[in-house]
Amino acid sequence: MASLEPPAAVTPPSSKPNLLPLPSPTIITPSAAALAAVAPTTSSSSPATLSVATPLPTPSDAELVHIPSYSRWFSLDGISECEIRCLPEFFDSRSPSRNPRAYKYIRDSIIKQFRRNPSSKITFTEVRKTLAADVISIRRVFDFLDAWGLINYSPAALSKPLKWEEKDSKTSQHAADSPAGPSSDSTPPVRETTKWLCGSCKSVCSIACFASDKCDLTLCARCFVRGNYRVGLSSSDFRRVEISDEMKTDWTEKETMQLLEAVMHYGDDWKKVAQHVGGRSEKDCITHFIKLPMGEKLAGSAEFGSGINKLNQMKDDNSSNSSSSGKRLCLSPLADASNPIMAQAAFLSALAGTAVAEAAAQAAVTAVSKVGHGEANAHFRSLHGVQGLQITRALRRQVMSYVFLYSDASITSNGSNKLKSSEEARSGVNTMPEEKVNVEEELRTVAMVQMKHIQEKIIHFEEIDSQIDKEWKQMEQMRDILFYDQLNLLKHERSIRKTGQQAAEGTRAG
Amino acid sequence: MKPLPSTSSKTPVKFRMPTSENLVPIRLDIEVGGQRFKDAFTWNISDPDSEVSVFAKRTQKDLKLPLAFATQIAQSIQTQQTEFRSYKGQEMLTGEKIVPIKLDLRVNRTLIKDQFLWDLNNFDSDPEEFSKTFCNDLGIEDPEVGPAVAFAIREQLYEIAIQSVATARESRNAKKGRRGEYSSISRSTGAALDLMKLFSNRYSGVRKRKEWDVFEPMVDMLSNEEVAALESMVERKPR
Repeated sequence: MASLEPPAAVTPPSSKPNLLPLPSPTIITPSAAALAAVAPTTSSSSPATLSVATPLPTPSDAELVHIPSYSRWFSLDGISECEIRCLPEFFDSRSPSRNPRAYKYIRDSIIKQFRRNPSSKITFTEVRKTLAADVISIRRVFDFLDAWGLINYSPAALSKPLKWEEKDSKTSQHAADSPAGPSSDSTPPVRETTKWLCGSCKSVCSIACFASDKCDLTLCARCFVRGNYRVGLSSSDFRRVEISDEMKTDWTEKETMQLLEAVMHYGDDWKKVAQHVGGRSEKDCITHFIKLPMGEKLAGSAEFGSGINKLNQMKDDNSSNSSSSGKRLCLSPLADASNPIMAQAAFLSALAGTAVAEAAAQAAVTAVSKVGHGEANAHFRSLHGVQGLQITRALRRQVMSYVFLYSDASITSNGSNKLKSSEEARSGVNTMPEEKVNVEEELRTVAMVQMKHIQEKIIHFEEIDSQIDKEWKQMEQMRDILFYDQLNLLKHERSIRKTGQQAAEGTRAG
Repeated sequence: MKPLPSTSSKTPVKFRMPTSENLVPIRLDIEVGGQRFKDAFTWNISDPDSEVSVFAKRTQKDLKLPLAFATQIAQSIQTQQTEFRSYKGQEMLTGEKIVPIKLDLRVNRTLIKDQFLWDLNNFDSDPEEFSKTFCNDLGIEDPEVGPAVAFAIREQLYEIAIQSVATARESRNAKKGRRGEYSSISRSTGAALDLMKLFSNRYSGVRKRKEWDVFEPMVDMLSNEEVAALESMVERKPR
């Protein structure tokens, strides 16, 4: 184990002094280059080698340790607020083994171990083998330090340099090397146009991020709101940068196809959808799916579905409303039908799948045909005359209109759907009349079902009505009885009074 | 500081590790496809179970082990966890419990032999702290020794705690005959009784001179060949 102590003890080994100014130059020897290689007992020399963009005159031949500028708050002597915030379990005395002292011990040991060999990455397992503490605490501290670039951070090790990180490393190098000489690696700031990494939580910014030109910091929306930036900044120093999903990561055709397949299979289970698509988070999938033009939604499904697709595309083109509506219902080809019943019916039929819907339609149509349309009409008419008629008429109109639209659309939009091959389009044309009939029947049955529903409701209300009438009659009866009682009472009263008067007269006379 | 319970109390206490934190020693010894992975560390039993798989994956990635290790590691940890938890509700006797703890371990190139007494009633005890001081005092430079020492101590404490659970159960079962109760308790606190005898001799806590050698720690640094020889010996044994 390399335990190169500086030849003269820099400071007493057991004390933990405050951040000292650097030891006097006489002590600095080439072996001090391994000042980073601190023996376990001395903790005092390491703060001296911290070459954050501080103007400390660092020894020219000491090994420099770089940490990013957003970690400037860090010091080996104490625990800063940032650490308390990010690792609260050590400071809320909920568990006896997790206390600030233990935290400091773990943190300092990890950092020292890393600094012994700053150019190579240190793994969690190496660290945990050398620490007498429970491994989960060690892991948490390790992850925290890693995220903040306090360990495993070196400009050379970064594979995808981002502009602000480059600048940080350069400035830190400048500050460090200015006494020494020109910095060796002057990597030009490479700006990747589509990637934004948050400076504090190291997550890729998706929706909006906040960039501060003042000190070249980029924060994701969450960190900005939380105030996770350094002391010198205020919220006004940040300007908002919008990032749209598409610009950041383009969805390839293949991914879109996968997404649609997955949605068809898993419906609302976005976890599985995200898994199926591969490489996209749930949120990405959902947002992209919403933004998809409606016509593509059921692509890849049976032709019935594709027929509805084309209808939608047509409607979309007509209405030019496609991408602006935010959260449209996923699987409802006729979703923007003004009639909610139709919308629901369409949604249900799409959900159930074409085969099921067809079978249901068949059965319903045969049943209905037995009943007969006219009968159904009369039935409704009998209920509440005008209303029933109106409903049937309206539904019929809608059904017809949709059917007409559909037939128009399907003919005209055959060639417009770029996802379909020409063969499929042709076969689509061939099965056009069948589909038309199917659609008609289905819509009809759906309408029937809805009307039956309404009918039942009306019956229910009628019952309630009659009940109320009965109660009203009862009330009236009671009222009559009461009146009769009152009358009786009055009569009795009068008669008693009369007898009383007579008795009084009698006594007076007699 | 928690006040220590009276030394002669035989009231049963809920099972827990007799240390200030409820950390469990976990030992891993997994062999997958010819590769053997041995490890030992302490685990905080109150941490959520999701940590197990995360830790297993991390270890597997860091050590560049084949993927099968991750699941095995997770399984092993979970079994040991559940084993510990199965003792959880039960009671253990904490009578007079000063037990000898022996250290006899080899970490990389450091060989350690030591023996000392440990108070089982002291629930504030901290093996980690002990091992830190141990390494500092003996000038051990290998940082992996500390955790290994702490782990060894913890393991032995765990064993003893399990035994005390067993004795508590025994004593409860044998409550019928007072004779039986006496004998079982006296068996378990045999070690303690000896110590009482020891201390009662001189009314001082200082050991007899002839026992100083027994209780002195011995740290030895091995050379590479000796290490290789020891390892091959160990591996040959289970085969």
